[in-house]
Amino acid sequence: MIPILPLLVAVPLAASPVVYVLSTRSRRAGMAAALVVSLVVLAIAVYAFWYVFVNVPLPGQYDLTAKYQWVSTSAFGLDIFLGTDGLSSPLILAAAILTVLVIAGSSRLVSQRLPLYLALLLFFEGSIIGVFTSLNLIVFYLFWELVTVPMFLLIGVWGGERRRYAALKFMIFIFVGSAFMLLAFLAAYSYAGVSSFDIQNISGRIPQDLQYLPLLGTFVGFGVKLPVVPFHGWLRDAYVQSPSPVTALLAGIQSALGGYGLIRISIGLFPQAAHEWAWAFMLVGIITMFYGALVALRAGELKQMFAFTSLNHMGFVVLGAFATVASGNLLGIEGAVFQMFVHAFTAGSLFMLAGFVGRQAGTTEVSKLNGLRDSMPRTAGLIVVACAAAMALPPFSSFLAELLVIAGGIAASPYAAVVVLVPVLTGGYLLWTIKRVVLSPSEAGSARVDMGWLDVATFAVYFLPLLGLVLFSSLILTPAAPVAQWAVHLVEVA
Amino acid sequence: MDLILFASVVLSAGALGFPFFQLSRTRGLPLGYILVAVLATALLFVGANALSPQPARDFGDLLTSDSLGGLFAFVTISVALLVAVASVPSMVSRSNGPLYCSLLCFSALGMLFLSYSADLLMLFVAWELMSLPTYALAGFDKDRVESNEASAKFAIVGALSSATILYAISLSYGLSGSTQIVDVVRAMETQTTNPMTLATALLFIVGFGFKMSIVPFHMWAPDTYEGAPITITTLLAAGTKKAGFAAAIRVVLAVSTVHVLTHDPVFTVPNILAVLALATMTLGNVAALTQRSVVRMLAYSSVAQAGYILIGFVIFAYAQQNAAFSHEATLGMTGSLFQIINHSIMASAAFLCVALVLGALKRADVGAFEGLARRAPVTAFTMAVSMLALAGMPPLNGFWSKLLLFLSVVNGPYAWLAVAGILNSVFSLGYYLWIVKRMYMDEPPSVERIAEPMLYVVIFSVLVALMVVLGVFPQVVIGFSQGAVPSLFPL
Repeated sequence: MIPILPLLVAVPLAASPVVYVLSTRSRRAGMAAALVVSLVVLAIAVYAFWYVFVNVPLPGQYDLTAKYQWVSTSAFGLDIFLGTDGLSSPLILAAAILTVLVIAGSSRLVSQRLPLYLALLLFFEGSIIGVFTSLNLIVFYLFWELVTVPMFLLIGVWGGERRRYAALKFMIFIFVGSAFMLLAFLAAYSYAGVSSFDIQNISGRIPQDLQYLPLLGTFVGFGVKLPVVPFHGWLRDAYVQSPSPVTALLAGIQSALGGYGLIRISIGLFPQAAHEWAWAFMLVGIITMFYGALVALRAGELKQMFAFTSLNHMGFVVLGAFATVASGNLLGIEGAVFQMFVHAFTAGSLFMLAGFVGRQAGTTEVSKLNGLRDSMPRTAGLIVVACAAAMALPPFSSFLAELLVIAGGIAASPYAAVVVLVPVLTGGYLLWTIKRVVLSPSEAGSARVDMGWLDVATFAVYFLPLLGLVLFSSLILTPAAPVAQWAVHLVEVA
Repeated sequence: MDLILFASVVLSAGALGFPFFQLSRTRGLPLGYILVAVLATALLFVGANALSPQPARDFGDLLTSDSLGGLFAFVTISVALLVAVASVPSMVSRSNGPLYCSLLCFSALGMLFLSYSADLLMLFVAWELMSLPTYALAGFDKDRVESNEASAKFAIVGALSSATILYAISLSYGLSGSTQIVDVVRAMETQTTNPMTLATALLFIVGFGFKMSIVPFHMWAPDTYEGAPITITTLLAAGTKKAGFAAAIRVVLAVSTVHVLTHDPVFTVPNILAVLALATMTLGNVAALTQRSVVRMLAYSSVAQAGYILIGFVIFAYAQQNAAFSHEATLGMTGSLFQIINHSIMASAAFLCVALVLGALKRADVGAFEGLARRAPVTAFTMAVSMLALAGMPPLNGFWSKLLLFLSVVNGPYAWLAVAGILNSVFSLGYYLWIVKRMYMDEPPSVERIAEPMLYVVIFSVLVALMVVLGVFPQVVIGFSQGAVPSLFPL
């Protein structure tokens, strides 16, 4: 049998130095090689996604598992244990699609030191899939740290004016967060009293009164990645200073790491504590949504506005995840998974569009942009569509995702109904932005080069899953259901 | 045992033979390569011995050929070899180069004997044989004031530490009537209420603490490291310091197996070691963060790394009181040995990068590293990898040894040491990453390339490969270190 998941992790990691060497020889060859590698990964990811959809694993079970012994000591053994289920398979697919799109879009947006750039993108892809597939805490931590290093360099080398500051700030936030996460992992290992770090072995063995502190530790670690208020300090600098393709990855898929960790580990290992404290985490999610929406409303710059739009969307993930733990209603986690998948494409398209606008118009300041409808009609059209998706307007599946989360939230607490205001706010400021940027009269002499039809076709790929999943939502929801059932089961066993 | 004998004969021949190269008749011989050949031959013998360790005692029970000794001998002689290779371009070609080679061989011989010694007197002689040449080597740039200062400070502190150890040895002879480590420990076990027992144990900790540069006996380290020729700094940080750990493991840990030194539940050997570990980690990292000179920063960083190593000692000493922790003790000592090996590799890499930069730019403050990635890409990459490894970034080698150390204490009364260790690791990223950022993101003051000699490129490639390979396949070293732990139980 072909080891699908190890291949998914190993192919991009191994290809990274090869692409580096190739692209030092020839720019075009390197670009082509990077695209081919990312397409191969995408093909494997599609297979894995389909496999999970057809053979949905039972609650608490995983598909396509692979286990290799790595380290054995007097006190514990460590295996590289990979597996996937309805929680990780859509995220792996999203990571693979987004990497292809980002590499394709980078040819115009990145000119300096391309070999290193492409190598880091592939390295990032491999390690992020590593996080999504690891079922062993130490291996999870290892890939988690690996994700940060290429991102640090991608921000710090290719970013805007204040890139070094942004990169260091990002790194410090993430590392402090992951230190708390590692502490929580060690505590979980110690409290469970087992000689293994496999999540399956630790889950369900930690007494409830010992669950609270490690739960908090993991929440800090994952909350920094999402991010949630109050761990969002790095977000503005990192998202705004990064080159647009990197921001698309940061917002689109790196943030999903946080949501994934919350469901797989925070809830999976500490379910009773999560159940008891769910109201607090739900509150954090709701505050994050409103905070993101309100800051975005005040933002005068497109990337900053989209950054806080992304923050606002990630709040839904937290709310959904903990709503299920609080109430036992499955909709919350199903919605959270859906939201993470959809958000990869809304955030990805928004940031890539901001990158194109910035490149053609020389600025992304809202006050300096005007009349894109006349000067860049195709770009303007795409912005309207992407904003509509971000507003969660009905033909887009983002609508369905937010609806599920809100329904799950209300099942947990009627007060959660207040979040219906968030899409309203989001719609408000995005429409206002469209009015100012796209529909305003264009000033004389502001002729700008519009994007070609090929680029438009690339963007169509972003909108395909956004539209298609309204009809085929079962692709995500059917495999996600056992994940939610498992979370509910874990809370109830105690 | 024969193989150790061969290694020592080769090293002695080098040590005694090199001064003759000072004669004018022998000028022009490839001195550096002879030195490398001598050390490489010794390393071959030591390696062959370490691969097939047969616990045996010889020379009137002065030496023991166990796997612990094999591990330390292999690591320290490797470092000496590395230093020799790195010295070929700069140090050896000087007019007094032959003396440099001779002193290096003497020191290597001392480290070899120290690794295998089973008797306190043998240990002390080897200790002096290792230390005395390094005092001279630290002052080898005799026209430089800093080098003289380094040498003087080092010699005074070294003499103090030797005197302390000698005093402890004489006390233990008084207690036991023997200088065999095994006999000393047995005698101490029967006299746990005797205040002399406690005094001996504490004096040993202090005496070896100087060489291990654990807080509060670390003050000499930054000044000496900064003033000494940087290749010698590498020897001090990666070589003799590790030999200090070898001696400490043989003696301090043996002493700590004496169950109850006092009837006070707080003032116990594991508790003392735990406090020292905490102070060493924390102070080292805090001091490192404030340094402008990269050499001093690395000096404090290696103080901090010694603190992590002590964590394994703590749990080992604790397990002697509480047998339920024997698995953890093995794990902790495995981690300590692994960390000692790792730190030799990481510190060698970092200090040799500084050596190259210092040689080319005549300065080694943080500013010298700005934009180094464009001026000397191989050096910058090696430095970056060693910084990340020192910080404990997975999947490099430094991650595993720290993980084993933290996991060994996570169950039980010293869990706070794991917490402190992890927080310290994050804290240390502050200065390690700062260097990486300087090298890769800042603009270089000039775009002129820095020449990277072929020898250095080779050394750097080997060291980077070691850091990555040991990180991806840690089981090799973990298995080897774990195999060396049982020889810690001589009783």
